[in-house]
Amino acid sequence: MGEVSRRDFLNSLGVTVGAAVAASAGSVLSPAKAEAQVRGTIPDKPYKIGHMTFFTGAAAVLGEPSYKGHILAAEEINAQGGLLGKRKIETFKADEAAGTDANVKEMRRMKLSEGIDLFTGVISSGNTPALGPVAEELKLLTIFVDGCTDFLFDKAVPNPHYIFRITNMQSADGVTAAVATAMTWPQVRKIAHIHPDYSYGRNAFDHFKISLDKLVPGTKVVYEGWPKLGTTDFTSHITNAIGAKPDLLVSSVWGGDYIAMYKQGLRYDLFKKMKFTSMIAFGVAPHAIGKDHPEGVIGGIHSNYYWNYPPAGKWPLNDIFVKKYYDRWKEYPNFQSEGAYTTLMLLKQSIEKANKLAGGWPDDEAIIAMLEGASISGPAGYLHIRPDIHQGYKDAVTGFSKNDPNYPFQILDPSRMVTIPIRNITAPPGWPKGEPTSTYTWIEKTWPKVTKA
Amino acid sequence: MIPVPPRRVLVYTIPIALLLFVLPFVVAPYQVALLTYGLTFAIAALGFNLLLGYTGLLSFGHSAYFGMGAYGVAFIVKYFKISSMEAFILGGIVAATAVAALFGFVCVRYTRIFFGILTLALSQVIWSLAFKFFWVTGGTDGLRVPTPSLLGVGMAPGQDKMAFLAHRYYYYVLVIFLVGVAVMWVIVHSPFGKALQAIRDNETRAEFVGVQVRRYRYMAFLVSGVYTGLAGALWVPLNGLTTPDILHWTFSGKIVFFTVLGGFQTFFGPIIGAVVFNYLETYAVGHTVYWQLVLGVVLVFLVLALPGGIVGTAGRVLDRLRKAA
Repeated sequence: MGEVSRRDFLNSLGVTVGAAVAASAGSVLSPAKAEAQVRGTIPDKPYKIGHMTFFTGAAAVLGEPSYKGHILAAEEINAQGGLLGKRKIETFKADEAAGTDANVKEMRRMKLSEGIDLFTGVISSGNTPALGPVAEELKLLTIFVDGCTDFLFDKAVPNPHYIFRITNMQSADGVTAAVATAMTWPQVRKIAHIHPDYSYGRNAFDHFKISLDKLVPGTKVVYEGWPKLGTTDFTSHITNAIGAKPDLLVSSVWGGDYIAMYKQGLRYDLFKKMKFTSMIAFGVAPHAIGKDHPEGVIGGIHSNYYWNYPPAGKWPLNDIFVKKYYDRWKEYPNFQSEGAYTTLMLLKQSIEKANKLAGGWPDDEAIIAMLEGASISGPAGYLHIRPDIHQGYKDAVTGFSKNDPNYPFQILDPSRMVTIPIRNITAPPGWPKGEPTSTYTWIEKTWPKVTKA
Repeated sequence: MIPVPPRRVLVYTIPIALLLFVLPFVVAPYQVALLTYGLTFAIAALGFNLLLGYTGLLSFGHSAYFGMGAYGVAFIVKYFKISSMEAFILGGIVAATAVAALFGFVCVRYTRIFFGILTLALSQVIWSLAFKFFWVTGGTDGLRVPTPSLLGVGMAPGQDKMAFLAHRYYYYVLVIFLVGVAVMWVIVHSPFGKALQAIRDNETRAEFVGVQVRRYRYMAFLVSGVYTGLAGALWVPLNGLTTPDILHWTFSGKIVFFTVLGGFQTFFGPIIGAVVFNYLETYAVGHTVYWQLVLGVVLVFLVLALPGGIVGTAGRVLDRLRKAA
């Protein structure tokens, strides 16, 4: 292999930086198609859905929007008479903060005692590996909104039948953050890390590191801090990171924890002393990020979605979604809201397709067949469900923080969003399962190491 | 000499045991599976109460033995690729006993708050090991435990896991539970058990009559650890996965909660408490996002209004009715 330049390699990844698009004249068009013809007779009993997410604790700023996105979609479907015009959606909610043991029991209770038809939600990547196998045992159709650990389909349930997942694979977070960093600050050499001490944090660290090693050779990790999930005191990690004099701080701290961390970082001028890249800082409900948040940092969104991108006028589905969400909840959606909303739209689409083929109310097997390999246009863009591992894939995005006088909170700059085609940063179908993840070994073996700028 | 339970105890327990045996034919599988959880927690509570109710030592670290029981099982699966329930139980008990032997050696030198804090601190060591050594323990992802074979007979291919848990596995746990209750009854009514109660009531006097206080406490600690470890081993196939959650001190707090809820001054209190708590938690989580508030209010009410717990209060009410009659 000859010399590989960073510029050429980034070009080959197909990374694009979103330019501001002048809002097109004219009204936002509703993309709804003409009313589809429903075949056969449909029972009118409610379609019961269990939605589990964080309603309590520091994770609620990230999790509760999931429920709001779900309810928005459910109300929209119910306003049209329900699924196939007949079956109204009835939602049962549960708090994910109860712990894995109680969550497993709750999933069983919902299926066996309430008789739910679909289980959805779940935020923490600690919970999907517990709930996934139980859903398979219960033969319970499940579409996880998040809990996106690679571990679920790499190892816990390598051949899923009943379970699906919407948000991007977790490894995409670390890779996306590394690609954006290499594009923006290729001069960084000394890197400090602060990650929550559990599988998500380690996943973010591993994938950021392997990708940056390929893209920016010669970097060195000068500090690793592993605060426990749910910690609100980051002082020691912040001062230690500053003491190590890094060029860049990388963090995957999320939810309420991140709010506490950035506020404490401000007191130490943390963000003036180094560049900052996060995988998921802007993943919280958008209004949770104050105007005091540092500008110009890479504010990750779990590589999934930020409400102002695709920007107004460019992608009508997003304009409509953001407006509806704002009208309903008086706040802006986060990536969980978009994921939960798209989950129900995907379900609706699959049920309608199955009905068109066979008539009547489709059984779970028919719905599963329609979900496998499904593609849907959502607010964030196109979403593809891989038939082999039932995982949703959409192009990964991240962005740069910016204050805008039109909003009372800080936003991501829609003119500088970074978009990466997902197939270029995640392990493809047929790639052997690897350690720590398949994507990790895929990057390790197939990405060249750049040798010049 | 083995003490025989008095007739009035048998009058209550035999019908209840019979009822437990016919239950899977009467109620829905989900309810039976839920009760199976309750029974495993009850075994842990029985073990815990040997220390609290009979020896007067409040442990805040029983999550360690429950968790070691569960992780012992998970390691057997991971390293030996065995999925026999008998091997699980053996592995779980060995792991829990080893840790109880070590921790007990340190802890029984202290009593009261010092004992409580020490047990809590040591259990947190185990928790952080499970949490940090993720290449061994799976970290927060935990370790999966497949459906075990019972007495050499595995789950039939294509059989529904819930049907398995609610029928064969339920009976398996029920038999172990009943044997566990009987053995604990024997223990607390034996001279050894009486000595523990003497230590609880007055340590100095017990020592003067020749009870080797520290040694007896250590024995009680070990038995307690074995019971809790057994409970952990029986619990893990129900959950299908073990995570550091069950090693955390908050889980120790739950075991204390079971016992206080049922009443720690009675033999059967902790059993009732564990089963009731399991229903209470499951329904609180299932019906409101304010489940923590529900559990908190129950705890405050218990401490203020029913210090004797469910069984203690029921006993007192019965006594009063009997006197009034």
